[in-house]
Amino acid sequence: MNDDQLLRYSRHILLPEIDVEGQQALLDARALVVGAGGLGSPAAMYLAAAGVGTLVLADHDTVDLTNLQRQIMHSADMVGLPKVASARATLHRLNPQTRLEPIQARLEGEALEAEVGRADVVLDCTDNFATRHAINRACVKHRKPLVSGAAIRFDGQVSVFDLRKPDSGCYHCLFPEGEDIEEVRCAVMGVFAPIVGIVGTIQAAEALKVLIGCGRTLDGRLLLLDGLSMEWRSVALGRDPGCAVCGTARCAGAVESALR
Amino acid sequence: MKVLIPTPLLSYTGVREVDAEGATLDAVLTDLDRRYPGIRFRVIDEQGRLRRHVRFFADGGQIFDPAHPLRADDTLVLVQALSGG
Repeated sequence: MNDDQLLRYSRHILLPEIDVEGQQALLDARALVVGAGGLGSPAAMYLAAAGVGTLVLADHDTVDLTNLQRQIMHSADMVGLPKVASARATLHRLNPQTRLEPIQARLEGEALEAEVGRADVVLDCTDNFATRHAINRACVKHRKPLVSGAAIRFDGQVSVFDLRKPDSGCYHCLFPEGEDIEEVRCAVMGVFAPIVGIVGTIQAAEALKVLIGCGRTLDGRLLLLDGLSMEWRSVALGRDPGCAVCGTARCAGAVESALR
Repeated sequence: MKVLIPTPLLSYTGVREVDAEGATLDAVLTDLDRRYPGIRFRVIDEQGRLRRHVRFFADGGQIFDPAHPLRADDTLVLVQALSGG
């Protein structure tokens, strides 16, 4: 770290839980943020400001006027432009030292696999179940920590699936994929602007803790926010022994190691 | 026992926190349906399986089996999957 970095990150370095080592871990880290909307905005902005070295941000969409009520990474002059281009401008203004790798595409298939494989932490800031399950499968396969957030109306949910640990559950253990899933979208149901900010900011905090290796993350817990009464509740999560995603993948991994 | 209702099911109960009785998850949901007709089918399908987008938690842990025993002093928390972002 040079003098400019020591000064820029001094309020982090003052924290004994972070110190120079923790900040250096952030500078060396590569974070993948999927979705540059309501959750991805505060998440990416805090990761950039806090000094995460490389930020990969994926979104296929363009900035729409209806996004601006809550997607604080984008501004009125960016309407019509790709979200990742708008994000790049905002994040560069926040911290020119962060290396930004924008991906203007719906991250899926092999590209998703490759990006998850290269990341130190993955933030799911997407808005649909199909992508959420695809990200989870890639994180299970590559054993990457997944910071998952979701919000709609006045409700928020956030958790960490630390798939580096053998006893941690995955997103599919909590919400199995199925045809009867009711997809509810912000465009239909509405969303209270700060709810995505609160949940996305918690995602940033948890991702930073994962990268630094400090404190206790939300791994094994699902945090539920009722923004209308502003009440929080936490429920304990575990592995579903019958999980079709992490059960078989991990069994296959265990068999492979046993045969080696 | 106390049952906490997720936002999408508030149209049945009107309030976030309701009471229901029963020794198992299935029994509690049956009692809940007696008080708020139609709510059980929103969380359990025709085959008696838990619907995938609604999850159940009590006494600090997740419940995967409708026959899971519950105590009168447990709080049953219903959580519906959110996908918005």
